Amino acid sequence: MANAKTTSHGTSADQAHDHHHYEPGFWSKYIFSTDHKVIGIQYGITALVFLLFGFILMLLMRQQLAKPNQPIPVIGPILEKVLGTDMVNSGVMQADLYNAFGAMHGTIMVFLAIVPLAFGAFGNFVTPLQIGAPDMAFPRLNMASYWFYFLGGVVMLSSFFIPGGAAKSGWTSYSPLASIADMAHWVDGQTLWLIGMVLLISSSLLGAVNFITTIIQLRARGMSWMRLPFFVWAQLVTGFLLLLAFPPLEAAGIMQLVDNLFGTSFFLPTGLVVNGSQLPVSGGGSPLLWQHLFWFLGHPEVYVLILPAMGIVCEIIANNTRKPIWGYRSLVYSVLCVGFLSFIVWAHHMYLTGMGTKISTFFQTTTMMISIPSVIILTALFISLWGGSIRMNTPMLFALAFLPMFGIGGLTGLPLGLNATDIYLHDSYYVIGHFHYVVAPGTIFGLFAGIYYWFPKATGRFMNETLGKIHFWGSLLFMNLVFAPMFIQGMKGMSRRMYDGGATYAGNASVLGLNTFISHAAIGLAVFQIPFIINFFMSIRSGKKISSDNPWEATTLEWSTPTPPPHGNFIKEPVVYRGPYEYSVPGAAKDFSPQDQQA
Amino acid sequence: MSLKMFHVVFVLCSLALTIGLSVWGFGNYQVSGRPVDLFYGIGSVISSVALVIYGWVFLKKLKHISFL
Amino acid sequence: MEIPYTVKPRPDTGLYNAKVGIWLFLASEVILFGALFSAYILLRVGALDGVWPNIKNAWPHGLLNIPIGTFNTAVLITSSVTVVFAWAALKMNNFARFRICMVITIVCALGFLCIKSFEYNEKFTHYELRLKSGKAYTGHIEVNGKHPGFWDFGSIYNLARLETDKVEKVKFTADPPKAKPGEKHDESTPKHEVMEVATSDIAHLDAFIPRNHTFFAIYFLITALHGFHVLGGALVLAWFTFPGSKMWLTEPERFINRIEVGGLFWHFVDLVWIFLFPILYLL
Ligand code: HEM
Ligand SMILES: [Cu+2]
Repeated sequence: MANAKTTSHGTSADQAHDHHHYEPGFWSKYIFSTDHKVIGIQYGITALVFLLFGFILMLLMRQQLAKPNQPIPVIGPILEKVLGTDMVNSGVMQADLYNAFGAMHGTIMVFLAIVPLAFGAFGNFVTPLQIGAPDMAFPRLNMASYWFYFLGGVVMLSSFFIPGGAAKSGWTSYSPLASIADMAHWVDGQTLWLIGMVLLISSSLLGAVNFITTIIQLRARGMSWMRLPFFVWAQLVTGFLLLLAFPPLEAAGIMQLVDNLFGTSFFLPTGLVVNGSQLPVSGGGSPLLWQHLFWFLGHPEVYVLILPAMGIVCEIIANNTRKPIWGYRSLVYSVLCVGFLSFIVWAHHMYLTGMGTKISTFFQTTTMMISIPSVIILTALFISLWGGSIRMNTPMLFALAFLPMFGIGGLTGLPLGLNATDIYLHDSYYVIGHFHYVVAPGTIFGLFAGIYYWFPKATGRFMNETLGKIHFWGSLLFMNLVFAPMFIQGMKGMSRRMYDGGATYAGNASVLGLNTFISHAAIGLAVFQIPFIINFFMSIRSGKKISSDNPWEATTLEWSTPTPPPHGNFIKEPVVYRGPYEYSVPGAAKDFSPQDQQA
Repeated sequence: MSLKMFHVVFVLCSLALTIGLSVWGFGNYQVSGRPVDLFYGIGSVISSVALVIYGWVFLKKLKHISFL
Repeated sequence: MEIPYTVKPRPDTGLYNAKVGIWLFLASEVILFGALFSAYILLRVGALDGVWPNIKNAWPHGLLNIPIGTFNTAVLITSSVTVVFAWAALKMNNFARFRICMVITIVCALGFLCIKSFEYNEKFTHYELRLKSGKAYTGHIEVNGKHPGFWDFGSIYNLARLETDKVEKVKFTADPPKAKPGEKHDESTPKHEVMEVATSDIAHLDAFIPRNHTFFAIYFLITALHGFHVLGGALVLAWFTFPGSKMWLTEPERFINRIEVGGLFWHFVDLVWIFLFPILYLL
């Protein structure tokens, strides 16, 4: 069955006829669908749009950093019309707008782009297929999850247009800053940010419950735990992180909402002075409480950002080296350890808050511990390359680049995790460099790899290889040109979140030039995304057609369905006989043995 | 965990509460000497006993339902 | 292919899908309430000394109505008992008994909410007063001959409100000094002290509402969140009992599963209260 020629759309629909056939209309088929594949694609498209939007915000900010207080050509006047002169004056971006863009860039990238793409899109599309399930366990909850996400996104975006503009206190929304940033308005950008977050949290809660249940309950016959593809393990752990890390932020979000709207003082300390007079609130609250609740989510969240990408990369490396993943079990145990440890490292973001040296020492220790399983995963993937006859296609190039890029991101995290060095590096451009290496050339490369890899499954056509390679090499080069100089700026002592790019500080003089350099590189990066966009749309209509249901000659179950998979996925209930990565098994007829191929 | 099992856990937690309440009531009575506190303590002890009996009856009645 | 294990349990896990789902959801709820409990502890430990009238530590203590709280606890425990019996009745094929038990559960839930709103009202009409002279009281106020009530939110007063409304004085009925649990009662003090207070003498005046103190803020937040859970649970159970019970005739096994899932949620909600009650009211 695995090697069957493409089952045409007609025949698979006929076979589905056996059960019960219904022809849903446009709305129930593409918009309010309960099919995990459609929902996955909805997630994917929405998230890609947000990714682009977040990137555009950043390009505008980079313009301001490169040429502080100079009018933005072309776009400046338009923004001025749309957002008003408080935000853009004579084409010049004002500090308020810079702060709003910064906060929204972070929020959009983390909560509306990467997580939905990694967990919502890939998780939805691929997970049920890989475990041999007909759909998610709760299809209607799955749809609700998408619509909560969509609504959350709409609320976030609409906050740009209310009086006072969008939230301005960073994606971390530290109190009391977030409560006093815009006191002229009762309902301000921060209010909408919080409402948006509550919607997004509901969405990911529904998603997480659904994913975990699906993976526990709907595995095909023979799909034992140690036969699960690593991608599914990564999604399972991600699901648990979302399930258990988000509620404290929900609690904190509600508290901050009540603080801002109804004058309570959960996070407002006694005697807080704003603009020269004492704030008329009861006080008695704790700003540290917000930080604890936020980072209890915040740190597991960074693993939500990275684990699905690791899963994708693992699948692609196994497929393109044509050999089993080295140390599959150690990968699984490591990812479980990472998941567990990620709940007890959060206060390494708070070394400078004065929470006490004993607490700092504890969190420094756990932070060093968590880097061990991360390194094991990376090492296992590197060793898997050894002795393989590697196919250098576009998915593989992105997957390969992921490894060193994530490596740089992780290694630069160690000095941040150590209390003594972090006191110097905290809140500098070094931190920006660190986590962008993990998420941008790291996670985003993993996600691109996944798009190129599973595109044929979703559409029946390949993406164009030449355009793909242009996209890859350009992105790799410019990603590094953008983020590597940030380490230098940070080590020189340049703070982040400054709308003049740090020009007011004499100490920054020697690294100010890099601002312009980085901004140019960011434009270069933008240019090299154009081949991807063209490729994506062109290939849907006219990409090279696949000649079999298993074009990459892979072993996992998603390739034993018709292409694209019909409602209900599998024509015949799949049975699993072997592990996920049986490539080049000695004595086998072919260099790959699909999981559902009888021994 | 089935509803049956969770109910057992629930009854145990309630029992812990009523025992705690009786300690709290008698403790207050020792200091204040008010009859209200005494009644509170006695009432809680009675509730604890009632909960134990109830739990036992419950387990007997639902013997055939699985714990899983 | 159809989605498996929607009704029958999967052999190796022994669970049907919805049961896994509800437990995962409850796990996340545990963390949600856990976060709020932690917030409560942090705020209480961090409270400053000597801000609340007559109390050393600025964490107002002993202000909640313990008899009512105890009664409400009993109401919720009863409702958990009846919800299990409803489920067991279905297992024994007794639909009529199922319905009776379910109705009792729902009545208990609504009773809990009514009693809770009575408690809320008590707090919304109760005031804290600190004078510039340093004296501090709790009690009830009368402004222009009217007692501000719960249902018209606009009528809750604080000092700023008195000033903008140009109210010159208020009548204040101070509470009798109440023995806090565990303290010796002093019978010699007068019962109610009634006084006229000039607005210009007031340093602070506000009702027992969230903005007045972080204790009330966290108390109202946690109990309101719990109250919404009670309300939501009651609505779902009511739906199962009346319109949704048609499923009993067509898919009885699936219906029993639903009731079990609903019962699990209901138990969780009640369990939260069993922790909330001693922590908020007694400790
Ligand atoms: C195992 C390696 C890692 C270590 C030791 C580490 C350590 C740290 C530390 C200590 C900070 C706080 C720096 C400061 O604010 O002074 C930080 C910030 C950050 N890290 Fe990592 N990290 C690691 C991996 C990751 C991963 C996998 C991600 C996923 C995307 C990530 C994303 C972030 C983000 C987003 C921030 C910035 C948070 C902010 O806005 O303040 N890190 N990292
Ligand atoms: Cu962290």
